[in-house]
Amino acid sequence: MSVSKQPAKTPSSDSKSARQRQKSDLFQQVLRLPIVIWQSLFFIAPLFFLVAMSFFIVRNYRMTEAFEMKNWLKMMSRDYFWDSYGLTIGLATLATLVVMIVAFPAAYTLAFRVSENTRRWAIFLLIIPFFTSYLVRIFSWYVILAESGVINAMLGYIGLGPYIMLNTKFGTIVGYMTLTLPLVIILQTFSLANIDRRLVEAAYNLGCRPWRTIIRVVLPLAKTGFIIAAVFCFILSFGDFVSPYYLGGSKPPTLPILIVDTVKSGQQWPRAAVVAVVMMVTLFIVAFGGIAAAYRRRNA
Amino acid sequence: MADALVEFDSVVKRFGDFTAVETMNFTIDEGEFIAIMGPSGCGKTTTLRMLAGLEAPSEGEIRMQGRVMNNVPPHERDTPMVWQSLALFPFLNARENVEFGLEMRGVDVAIRKKKALEWLDRLEIGEFAERDINSLSGGQKQRVALARSLVTEPKILLLDEPLSALDANLVIRMQSMLTRLQRELGITFVYVTHSQSEAFAMADRVVIMSRGHIAQIGMPKDIYRAPENRFVAEFVGRNNIISGTVTSTSSKVVTIDGNLGQFEVALAGDHQPIVGDVASFVIAADLVHLSTTKPKATNNIECSLISEEFIGSVVTLFLETPDGSEFKVQIQERELSDMDLKHMGRVFVSWESDRAHFLGAG
Repeated sequence: MSVSKQPAKTPSSDSKSARQRQKSDLFQQVLRLPIVIWQSLFFIAPLFFLVAMSFFIVRNYRMTEAFEMKNWLKMMSRDYFWDSYGLTIGLATLATLVVMIVAFPAAYTLAFRVSENTRRWAIFLLIIPFFTSYLVRIFSWYVILAESGVINAMLGYIGLGPYIMLNTKFGTIVGYMTLTLPLVIILQTFSLANIDRRLVEAAYNLGCRPWRTIIRVVLPLAKTGFIIAAVFCFILSFGDFVSPYYLGGSKPPTLPILIVDTVKSGQQWPRAAVVAVVMMVTLFIVAFGGIAAAYRRRNA
Repeated sequence: MADALVEFDSVVKRFGDFTAVETMNFTIDEGEFIAIMGPSGCGKTTTLRMLAGLEAPSEGEIRMQGRVMNNVPPHERDTPMVWQSLALFPFLNARENVEFGLEMRGVDVAIRKKKALEWLDRLEIGEFAERDINSLSGGQKQRVALARSLVTEPKILLLDEPLSALDANLVIRMQSMLTRLQRELGITFVYVTHSQSEAFAMADRVVIMSRGHIAQIGMPKDIYRAPENRFVAEFVGRNNIISGTVTSTSSKVVTIDGNLGQFEVALAGDHQPIVGDVASFVIAADLVHLSTTKPKATNNIECSLISEEFIGSVVTLFLETPDGSEFKVQIQERELSDMDLKHMGRVFVSWESDRAHFLGAG
């Protein structure tokens, strides 16, 4: 059989490479599978269930499947719900502002003023708080903030106080900061450390004073990282139950406390679901808004 | 003549144990285009950064118009710099970048906008004023960076290898634009580069640096034809350096006896060679005659042809001398084609005594 090899080879090698491509496509699909399964089982499905649950009703302390607007109308018409919503947003926003400002000098120092080695150690030390339970860290504030605690004892020596810090909004903010400050410092440090130093030098070179350079050049360059840090800070504070409960005294309640209270009083899971859905929507708006602002490009 | 704008007085710069710049003394005149050139790590960029105040000298003084600048912070100087990376602010558009320096000086919004647009027009990129920096081409960005530095009308402009990222055609165009600008504005340009062609094409004077020292300062032609030492001779151009023992000397000519024979070198400057010393001289590759028969000239070497390199009309031949060292010759391609040289073929190089340049001892 005198079949010429040359023409036969081309189509076969073509189909071979096509098969190879299909194979690698399949491989990539398989790689994606775990995250897809995980997300649909433990995130999307519960989310749908949560939304559905907010339309259920409770009869004789038992949740019954239904589709009624009752829970929504009830929660939306209650002043305490809106007070709680406003308080939670207010406290989380204040905490975010304070944390972003308090973190900045530390992050700036770590990014610009110390050696790379020192920076690595500092970031390691900033991770250490996460090794202990958040609850333990919150309880340890009792010793410091209590009426007979460390701070009031020190203030007493100079004839001040005692100040009540536990079971106040101040306590809540301290708790939020405990949760978010190390993370925000780390995120700020990374985004500052990635700034091209030559741009900072260029600003000096063009007559920009150091303080003005921070506002005019450093912050715009670090914008993306900073917005992401702030969004994280807000999300963590907004959804936190521990700080407003143990350090803030739970009165007036923030939304997470409201959820617990609603569930406890008469098994009102559907109404708690309403609060949870409102929280989710709020966080979605903040997160998407933040990310959109972070990656917004100038119009050419 | 012009006055000294900048004086380096015994300036030393150390980074830890490393000495980047060592006892530097030189002055830059007002309105001068000076190039600082050298291999990487020679201290040229450090010198420029000291002028901008981004590094402080470890010892010595830098004066500008008589004022000691050592402790003047960068933002209080008027020494704008054009960075190799351009360092344009990505969050500002072209016009806003140019306005930056004016804004820092508290110039009124309307005036600074007008001035920025004027400069962008002057550099022929007015139409891109409102464009995002990242949407501009390399050459356009380069012009924005220049406009940004020049808009405050400084007395001196510092340039740190500004053309090294551009392609060859653009480099030539930017070179002529830079020289034209410098002449028109009459301000001092200090231009750091590792490129000999850029330095020689544009500068009035060139400073050659090596390992933190100044190896030579002079006009491009002098540096090219009369290198003061072995480093400059090797760094600049295509030079052949030949060493030997001084066998006789007069006020005009010195005779050097080496591995490759006996050579006569015309003396210029204040060299006073001593008989018996080891000395060397330079013969530039383009000042050599080439022949296939033994020439009459005293200074000649018999070589064999190793390889050749075409760069258009000029050809560089790489020859091997009897002691195995390399000898470079540059001739016109037209001349070469008449000679019919063969690979490894025998060829004679020769030159007149006054073409060679005496380097001194060593």
